[in-house]
Amino acid sequence: MIERKERKPYWRHTKWQMVASLAPFFAVIIILPLYADRLNSNKFLGFPLGYFLAAHGLVLIAVITVASFVRQQDAIDHWHGAHEDN
Amino acid sequence: MAILSPSRAVNPRLGSYFGIFLSGFAAIALTSLILQGLGVELSILSLAMLLGPIALYAGIGIATHASDPLDFFAAGRRVPAFFNGLVLAMSAFGATGLVALTGLFFLIGYDALFIGIGALGGFVVMAVLLAPFLRKFGAFTIPSYLGRRFDSRPLRLATALVVAIPIVMILSAELRFAAEAAIVLTGWSHGQAFLVLFLVLLVTLVPGGMRSMTWTGVAQSLAAFFAVMVPVIIVAAIVTTMPVPQLTHGPVLRAIGRNEAIQGLPIILPPGMAFDLPGPELQPILKRFADPFGALGPAAFVLGTLSMIAGVASAPWLLPRLAAAPGVYEARKTLGWATFIFGFAMLTAASVAVFMRDYLMDLIVTPGPAVVPPWLAELAKRGFASITETGTQFTASSISFARDSVLLSLPIAAQLPPMLLDLSLAAIIAGALVAAGAATTALGHILSEDILFGGTWEAPHGPVRIHAGRGGIAVAAAVGVLAAAYVTTDPLRVVLCALAICGSALFPVLVLSIWWKRMNAFGAMAGMLTGFLVALLTIAGGQGESAAIPSALAAIIGIPAAVSAIFAVSLATPSPTRHVLQIVRDIRVPGGEILYDREMRTQRLKKQRQLS
Repeated sequence: MIERKERKPYWRHTKWQMVASLAPFFAVIIILPLYADRLNSNKFLGFPLGYFLAAHGLVLIAVITVASFVRQQDAIDHWHGAHEDN
Repeated sequence: MAILSPSRAVNPRLGSYFGIFLSGFAAIALTSLILQGLGVELSILSLAMLLGPIALYAGIGIATHASDPLDFFAAGRRVPAFFNGLVLAMSAFGATGLVALTGLFFLIGYDALFIGIGALGGFVVMAVLLAPFLRKFGAFTIPSYLGRRFDSRPLRLATALVVAIPIVMILSAELRFAAEAAIVLTGWSHGQAFLVLFLVLLVTLVPGGMRSMTWTGVAQSLAAFFAVMVPVIIVAAIVTTMPVPQLTHGPVLRAIGRNEAIQGLPIILPPGMAFDLPGPELQPILKRFADPFGALGPAAFVLGTLSMIAGVASAPWLLPRLAAAPGVYEARKTLGWATFIFGFAMLTAASVAVFMRDYLMDLIVTPGPAVVPPWLAELAKRGFASITETGTQFTASSISFARDSVLLSLPIAAQLPPMLLDLSLAAIIAGALVAAGAATTALGHILSEDILFGGTWEAPHGPVRIHAGRGGIAVAAAVGVLAAAYVTTDPLRVVLCALAICGSALFPVLVLSIWWKRMNAFGAMAGMLTGFLVALLTIAGGQGESAAIPSALAAIIGIPAAVSAIFAVSLATPSPTRHVLQIVRDIRVPGGEILYDREMRTQRLKKQRQLS
């Protein structure tokens, strides 16, 4: 169980982790599709690059974002003693 | 991973069970292929392809009956992350993804990505902003969570009523897709198809509530993936010699691009807010596949993505799934699996569309007089496509396709045996049943827990609670089937509007209920009602052709309105009580007792003290 004086630092840490996970993801998800047209003249694995990045690339980025969030947040939980004890 | 107490231990044989199920499903398909070769009549085989899997789902549904409230309402809180994520992803994808998203990819190519990207982003946002905290709270439904979190019974009731509307909309859309597939498969009337679907929902959900929904949902998701993948893998092996359609449709796509350029398909430069999603009617392809923005403008694409993110992240038929995870860490992992599986499903849909377009472009660029090939004649006979003019040569505009039949057109265009068309139809039914099952259980639990027993905090003990839960699910299924039978609007539009309503009514309230301590019950109520009403008005105003905001994007006005209402009303009214603040502080920490259980216990103690 978390100690009382650990709660504030724990939540500050968690908030920064939230920003660190979501800000780059949102930047990519909003900006990348808009530039797909210019990237399409290049090729990757036979795909037009813009389409490839907007479809396969964003799937990969989403999975990596969640996976790294799970790892980091679990580390934060353990650091502050906020993890589940069952 | 921490050691779980024995009562919550995960069944180690789950993998084998679902391996057996999948073998059974594959056996039905293969037997039907063999019998077809032996000359058994096709209509009997099609009926077997519908009823065989349904019998398997029903068996699982009955075998997972539950008599304990925790089992009935939260699947015992012991569903491993992978299975939980699989059902979560498939209930978001559903038949809408299988049928309508594939069709959209085929007709407008790149622009359809906003739906897939938006849902993926929705899972990411759900993982970071909502999932761990909702799991820590542990409530069975979203109205229970909000009511208990703000200690307000009116808020609980209002949430239940608001949330019921988008859930019924989703239910009607999914059941409509399922009914259309069942009709193609068997030639039944609409009434018969809806009756069978109603019975399937009852038998797979009523015995064990959330528990039945989880395990039949896993089976249906696996069946849907298997049945969708087999035809497209065969086509990929024929066209590209590599049976990995998601990764190898690139060269095919470039060939399509060259043919589109030869054909002179226009490069459209739409206005920024153009939002012209194709409906279910027959229409020709008008846009190059890999070129962004033709049907949708760039601004509409980005806003559509954000609107989908808000809608999926706060979808009240998806969030109860998190209560079934064994812990906070597993709830986060659930979203990881869900993101991966949803992405895989989206790329599969895109590859189906690309291969189908390849068959079409090959036909169009073949020089010489227009000869209708047998597969196109078959598509036209079934009403999946129509040939509007047969001049000296086909052009892109002379062949029209129905959006919702593209998935079914691929096995026909590739001239695969008719059994593979049946398999695709079985996939649509399975996908629809996962999504409809999730929506039915969510609505059923809300009906029994928050509306029937909503007057008191403590639900009654003993079998009454389970019986009420079963009744709620039966009523929810009936409402869904009736809605599906009488709402004949384009199901894709219905789904997008439902997500827009969720996004504006629920997303700001749910996120701020965790991340802003000062928010109180009045703010939550004001925010939810404002978001809901603004979304409804925008949807109503967005129906016209020249509307400023298309109805599917209603959340982009609804969310700011709801957020400002929450801030204004919360700050104008007294700050929350110490008890409520304590709840927020505890939600934010993964460790410690599940808050819902603690609240129920304190309610019980309070009542005993009053009595004595």
